[in-house]
Amino acid sequence: MFRAAPAHPERPSEPIDHHDLVLQPRDVTFDWGATPLHWLPGEPFATHTFDVLHLMLPELERWFVRTFEQALPLITDDRLREDVRGFIGQEAMHAEAHQEVLEHLLAKGLDPAPYTRQSEWIFRRVLGDRPELTPAAAHAHLLQRLALIAAFEHFTAYMGHWILDNGHLDQAGADPAMLDLFRWHGAEEVEHRSVAFDLLVHLDPRYRRRVVGMLVTAPVLTRLWIRGVRFLMSADPELDERVQVRFRDYLAAARKDLLPRPGAFARSVLRYFHPGYHPTQDGSTQQAVAYLAASPAARAAAR
Amino acid sequence: MDISTPVTRPPDLYGRPRSDSFMQKLAAFSDNAVTRLARRSTPPRRPPATEMPVIRELVVVAKHQEAEDVVSLRLATPDGGTLPPWQPGAHIELHLPSGRKRQYSLCGDPADRHRYRIAVRRIANGKGGSAEVHDALGEGMRVAVTGPRNAFPFAAEASLLLIAGGIGITPILPMAREAARRGLDWRLVHTGRSRGSMPFAAELAELAAAAPGRVSIRPDDESGVPEAADLLCVSPAAGAVYCCGPAPMIDGVRRAFGGSRASALHFERFAPAPIADGRPFELQLGDTGRVLPVPYDRSALDVLHDALPDLPFSCRQGFCGTCRVRVVHGHVDHRDRRLTATERAAGAMLPCVSRAPEGERLVLDV
Repeated sequence: MFRAAPAHPERPSEPIDHHDLVLQPRDVTFDWGATPLHWLPGEPFATHTFDVLHLMLPELERWFVRTFEQALPLITDDRLREDVRGFIGQEAMHAEAHQEVLEHLLAKGLDPAPYTRQSEWIFRRVLGDRPELTPAAAHAHLLQRLALIAAFEHFTAYMGHWILDNGHLDQAGADPAMLDLFRWHGAEEVEHRSVAFDLLVHLDPRYRRRVVGMLVTAPVLTRLWIRGVRFLMSADPELDERVQVRFRDYLAAARKDLLPRPGAFARSVLRYFHPGYHPTQDGSTQQAVAYLAASPAARAAAR
Repeated sequence: MDISTPVTRPPDLYGRPRSDSFMQKLAAFSDNAVTRLARRSTPPRRPPATEMPVIRELVVVAKHQEAEDVVSLRLATPDGGTLPPWQPGAHIELHLPSGRKRQYSLCGDPADRHRYRIAVRRIANGKGGSAEVHDALGEGMRVAVTGPRNAFPFAAEASLLLIAGGIGITPILPMAREAARRGLDWRLVHTGRSRGSMPFAAELAELAAAAPGRVSIRPDDESGVPEAADLLCVSPAAGAVYCCGPAPMIDGVRRAFGGSRASALHFERFAPAPIADGRPFELQLGDTGRVLPVPYDRSALDVLHDALPDLPFSCRQGFCGTCRVRVVHGHVDHRDRRLTATERAAGAMLPCVSRAPEGERLVLDV
């Protein structure tokens, strides 16, 4: 199900199929000095739905890095090994960028520590190495975790494509630095969207393995996200402590296209279960590459 | 970050004096999965090596002098079969008979699935790769090639300025052709020492004839050495700039870019910058006592990588932190922009860029 050769190659809008991209981390510099706590003005719910990522991702992405480092010696495909190296560096940069935002949140009076302590515990202890395992069991444990990561990368690629396409956030007055962080991150997620999947299939091509990864990741991630929004709304010093978080707040934000719509999101998850699924079927590397050349944070670090 | 720090079960999110039931359930679920794994005994297996031939042997089917010191090679498979597809900006890596590996941008027509074309300038005081291509690689000879891969992808924005310095025209030429084919609003500026040193003049003239006003050729000996700002002054408002050329030119364009009207800058990221002020020193691998000399012109990471092929690394420029190692003894000359003072004090070092004073021995915990 790869993109078929275009019938009219002279069309200017014909997508460029960049399947041979060299993945490299990009240095970035963000300045949070002008970013308000509610960086989507008047939309605390949508703001904090994005902000959950700052609370989760630094630990999550460091866990990706540690897990992928363990997989590196097992790879027998030179190109995939290069891709995994690029992936690791990009994820390490993402973790640091989101970590900086945690300090910004704290400076704005929102203490993220109760949630980030839980993230640390999940990604270091619950999903970390189990030294008690025999080598054979440790290998199976590694494959299980690679399946979780491949499933998670499906979400990040979906979100990355969504935020690159989305013009409503700009119209809603989103803070440019925060939007750039999410778009830079999203663009690199689109750029490296097949690496985790290709690595999993390389080490374990069974359909079952991939499906189990998604069946665990999707509900746990949803639950962690809801808990994160609730926590941030309650810890937000600019909101009433008793503020309620309701599903209809999400639907309202999604109707304004400030968050992905539930139907499209659910359909995207279902695509992962298709036996012929490959991450390159969604998203556009060309669009990601164009954004990365324009990202203010990537250009600021290039000085 | 020290991940070996024991992490105890975290408290409830809202400071209530009870353990968090969701955290408990997650831990129980995971522990259960791990326990079931422990009963299994399928041994780990490495997958068989990929069937995709990553390295292929190609034949030099034509070699042309394109300018002073520049030759182009056309490469094809020995049996005339089709080659993997590529897009503008892609490069291949040549494995030269001497063992040297060199990457060259593809500068032919992506629609030609039977031949690749590269162009190589002889670098007089280089490390010998370009001289080997010029002197030792003749028509009919075979050469091992990997790729193509693309580190300079072309995103086909609606309006474009393509800047090429000298031999930097190689990835830019296919981009200009692609832009013309797509009917985009494009401009190309080619700079170089003199017309005689600038390759592909005839092909650029052909492009210019088909698209009047879009191509400008700026030899230094006629128009003077251009400032980056001069090159950028024709950049389209909110358009994209693609730049390929010598490092000082790319650096200049990157610095001047903020003052231009364009909104996106693409340049080929030739990974590690040359080592500045490098002195030879030594690395000792932990307690094994194995000592690796690091010459003045190689990074500690390159030397370590030869000894430990599975060592993680990524950016090789001192910002991503992936290659971090711990130094147990020795004085480090830190050159990264990632580690904090505390991390350095604790012995962290990024061997991709950081070094040591001349003759120093760094004992690493690896």
